[in-house]
Amino acid sequence: MKNVIEVKNLTKKYGKLTAVDNVSFEVRKGEIFGLLGENGAGKTTTLEIIEGLRKPTGGDVKILGMDIKKDLSKIKKRVGVQLQSSAYYHYLNLKEIIDLFCSFYGTCVESKELLDMVELGEKSYSYIGSLSSGQRQRFSIIASLVNDPEIIFLDEPTTGLDPLARRNLWEIIKKIKQQSKTIILTTHYMEEAELLCDHVAIMERGRILALNETHKLIERAKYPYNILFIADKVDKKIFEKITKLGPDIENIFAKQNHFEIKIDTKEKLDKTLKLIQQLKPDIFTVGKTTLEDVFIELTGKTIKE
Amino acid sequence: MRKLFIADLKMLVRNRQSLFWSLMFPLMFTVIFGLFFGKNSTGGTVALIKKSNSEIANNLEKAIGDSDLFKIRNEDNLQTAKDEIKKSQISAAIEIPEHFGEMGPGGTTQLIFIYDPGNIQASLPASSFLDSYITSINFKIQNAKSIYSVENQKINTRDLTYFDFVLAGILGLALMNSSVIGISIAMSKYREDKILKRITTTPLETWKFIGAEVLSRLMLNIFQIGLILVVGVYLFNGHIYGNIFILFGIAMLGAILFQLLGFVVSILVSSTDAAQGMATAITIPMMFLAGVFFPIDALPKWLSSIVQYLPLAPLLRMIRFVALDNISPFVNPFNIIVVLAWIVLLLAIAVWKFRLSEE
Repeated sequence: MKNVIEVKNLTKKYGKLTAVDNVSFEVRKGEIFGLLGENGAGKTTTLEIIEGLRKPTGGDVKILGMDIKKDLSKIKKRVGVQLQSSAYYHYLNLKEIIDLFCSFYGTCVESKELLDMVELGEKSYSYIGSLSSGQRQRFSIIASLVNDPEIIFLDEPTTGLDPLARRNLWEIIKKIKQQSKTIILTTHYMEEAELLCDHVAIMERGRILALNETHKLIERAKYPYNILFIADKVDKKIFEKITKLGPDIENIFAKQNHFEIKIDTKEKLDKTLKLIQQLKPDIFTVGKTTLEDVFIELTGKTIKE
Repeated sequence: MRKLFIADLKMLVRNRQSLFWSLMFPLMFTVIFGLFFGKNSTGGTVALIKKSNSEIANNLEKAIGDSDLFKIRNEDNLQTAKDEIKKSQISAAIEIPEHFGEMGPGGTTQLIFIYDPGNIQASLPASSFLDSYITSINFKIQNAKSIYSVENQKINTRDLTYFDFVLAGILGLALMNSSVIGISIAMSKYREDKILKRITTTPLETWKFIGAEVLSRLMLNIFQIGLILVVGVYLFNGHIYGNIFILFGIAMLGAILFQLLGFVVSILVSSTDAAQGMATAITIPMMFLAGVFFPIDALPKWLSSIVQYLPLAPLLRMIRFVALDNISPFVNPFNIIVVLAWIVLLLAIAVWKFRLSEE
């Protein structure tokens, strides 16, 4: 598939601080690419350099084959940007804001079509101040679609939303992808990245720690499998047999009789399962490692909001 | 850019805070000063209780009516007039008693003037008028001629009042407040809300964004100046003698100067609250020091020689040249030079430092 974004050795320094450190990646046409990391990891700075909002200290960025240093105004016509927690004009209604932003570009998508797409049709004549945070975020995403862009940049689109509003937004992002648009988003929700992104780059302190297709990144984890179980009795003999196989048994968050076992090979998984069945557990689930586990493995820490 | 201009206009009209500073604030001053110093306010209303029908009494009534110094109202009941004076509803009352001016034995010769000593200022025009009128009748009856007299000469041949002076000042005040406060708060709020940043992600050129903002505010300024003049001239008898188009031209020049000052304030501050504080700290002292309400010559010399360089001071001088004296605003080139120097300086700072994006 064709690359629509090419980032090579991108660096951004503020005095002694290196916010983005020699970052390189490509984004293919039609995919969702995720930049993952905790706050201050350099995700937004990287995204804003690509959007032309910040000047890089070094490196090259090409969007749709054009250099951001030379052809920024041409690029701006073909991309859509949603900024992190961006507000819009307070004294214009939603329809007026869309029509206004439309006028900044040559091409235009009907405001009704966009508002209906995110179920804000009834709010066409409302001011932004009267919307809930979920509605605002939905509006902010369609406002980035006014020019029917080929690439859409979404900076932390679901931060601060409740779980239901977040799922609602995932559906919208899925709809945009179905229109064969390319999306590059930043997030610190691993579950979100795992569900939405085709490719992810995990960032820490301005550097990319891992870059791959999302499922491959998970498969290559040190412990791709895990078993969760709840057992009434702790049979020490069986527990010893399991630990002899290799994996550790971990008591989940000190909850009584809740256990997790991380396993690295399929063979060990089968053997461990047989042993656990002897414990006659109330509940047990066999799962694959999540992106969050990979993230913790790579960075040694969990993400906080 | 047309759509942005229209959107900017809509936002200006919908934003109550901006409307207050541009329209209500200067109108409040116009009305307050108009009530104190505008139409017929010097002599107020005088009640006339006329009980005689003699020739002298009739002539006096006509002379009072012809005088422009105060309004006259006929009243039958003396007590009602006295009550109204006590309540300051009228300035004074003149009673022409029965048989006043009648020839023959029953005729009386004394007029009665009723006033409130606590409000002598208001009754003064009527009492002076009455004094001089009675003196002239006395001379006439005695067939005497006055030897000494006073010739009153006004500095200006036009009928100018203190209200006219203030009205011209309020025009400058309105331009300054709406532009400095309006632009600095709007830009800081746009920056705080990341609207400026959002705009830079679109292909819209910066000059178009600023152009639409400036033009929409100039429209508001034209409406604002028009409204103040209509209220001042038609409701409170203010005077504008010069060419109204030249007056509007000078006002627009002032509006541009103050909008630039607003942009520079928004560069210097980091939040909307700070913008409001700084804009107020600039406009309030300038309102008093640059001659909106008092001529700056009344200040100590060392201070007036400094404040004459404030942006509002030369602008007000030009507005008054046109509005009050009907002469060219450029009659003293110093004023336009100071205004243009401010425009060039502020424009240079704005172009150098004002950015939509952070980098």
